[in-house]
Amino acid sequence: MIILSAKNLTKSFGKKIALSNVNVEIPRGRIIGLLGPNGSGKSTFLKLATGLLVPTEGEITIDGAIPGVETKAKTSYLAERTYLNGWMRAEDIIAFFEDFYEDFNRIKAENMLKELNINPSDRLKTMSKGTKEKVQLILIMSRSAELYLLDEPIGGVDPAARDYILNTIITNYKENASVIISTHLIADIEQVLDDIVFISKGEITMTSTVDEIREKYNKSVDGLFREVFKC
Amino acid sequence: MLGKLFKHEVKATGRTFLPMYGALLILTIFTKLALTIGAPDFFTDDIATGPVAEVILGITFTLYVIFITALCVMTFVVIIQRFYKNLFTDEGYLMFSLPVKTWELILSKLLVGLMWSVVCCLMLVISIFILSLGSFSMMEVVQDINMAYTDFYTQFGMSLNIILFELFLCMLVSAISSILLIYASIAIGQLFNQHRVLASFGAYIVITIVLQIIVSIILVAVPLLANLDILFSGIDGIKAAQWLINGTTLINLVLCVIFYFCTQYIMEKHLNLE
Repeated sequence: MIILSAKNLTKSFGKKIALSNVNVEIPRGRIIGLLGPNGSGKSTFLKLATGLLVPTEGEITIDGAIPGVETKAKTSYLAERTYLNGWMRAEDIIAFFEDFYEDFNRIKAENMLKELNINPSDRLKTMSKGTKEKVQLILIMSRSAELYLLDEPIGGVDPAARDYILNTIITNYKENASVIISTHLIADIEQVLDDIVFISKGEITMTSTVDEIREKYNKSVDGLFREVFKC
Repeated sequence: MLGKLFKHEVKATGRTFLPMYGALLILTIFTKLALTIGAPDFFTDDIATGPVAEVILGITFTLYVIFITALCVMTFVVIIQRFYKNLFTDEGYLMFSLPVKTWELILSKLLVGLMWSVVCCLMLVISIFILSLGSFSMMEVVQDINMAYTDFYTQFGMSLNIILFELFLCMLVSAISSILLIYASIAIGQLFNQHRVLASFGAYIVITIVLQIIVSIILVAVPLLANLDILFSGIDGIKAAQWLINGTTLINLVLCVIFYFCTQYIMEKHLNLE
């Protein structure tokens, strides 16, 4: 069962080509690392899957449909930046998510806030950048979506919270759902990944399971990444 | 989903407007008090106030006028800012990943913007009504209005309501078209890779100038090409006014459609959040 499929997917911004002729199929029930150096097209790929960008050529489909209302209802996208309104309280934004996403679980969100000692009645603008990122991730993971698209989910948070977040990710998704995590902090997330997709300069250079890499190259994903993308 | 978008939009904008309306009411009552105490005969022909009362009245009135101006400007600014900030800055990442249609995003913003514009006008009317309380009798006003209706009917052979309705429609449609022009300009600005706000201003100015030129050409060309004397012979002044009002409504309606689809097209096909 394929949840996401890209065929000849190309996206250019003016003359700059961000993604070039990408073909990839992501099955259900996997955690996939979308790994590549800065500016390799990771964010562009996730934005195309979410429907924040429209392909220049080719197509991308989520569960067989091109991005639209239907796919947005079953994909949970974590943007690379904090997009929450400063004036809102955590509880306001929970109400917002509850209104728009049918698969949003309020109890789950409130429990996670409690576990991370975040007060639901605090305004977002009084929170630190890391805390805001945590709130955002909690919201995203409190949905029971079919596809999670996480753009740099652990970039701004401390290592202790990182473990909690990764744990949240792997324990919170349904069996037939998939999680795509884009990051360059590979060592931190390697333990949770099933598959990896290496992306460089807008092209996919390798897709593999993590087990295969360990067998074939006798290396960790992090080690292989450093070798492949050596400057 | 439109209803939910509308609800959250009202929530997000209401926290700016409601305190302002509250402040307006308080300021109105304060000004009214100053008027009643300082210049009880303000609305009569011979005003006689002392210098102190004059200064206090001057200050309260200046404050009042400044506040009303600020309220109108703010209504306008919030309409623009909500569309730009909520959809095309970081917040756009959230709004565009919601399972809603693009037209619902545009329409919710437009409706709420219109709603606040109408509420703003109502608040001004209420405020001025409070200020002028005691200076007229309700009976006289009602009588005057009735008289106006009768006069109008005897003179033109039609109800004043028709003209008033057409005027209202004209104002409503032109308000919508000016909001949609701003939306379209903001959307056009998004087509640029940098200096997007500047590009939006540029788009706004260019579109306004082009429209001005087109209107001027029409105004010059129509009387030249068509013999208006024939067209308007036998048509009285009120009919000509109706032509003008409804013509303006129609043109603005066409512009609304163009601006709307331009905005929607860019948001659907060329969205590129920074």
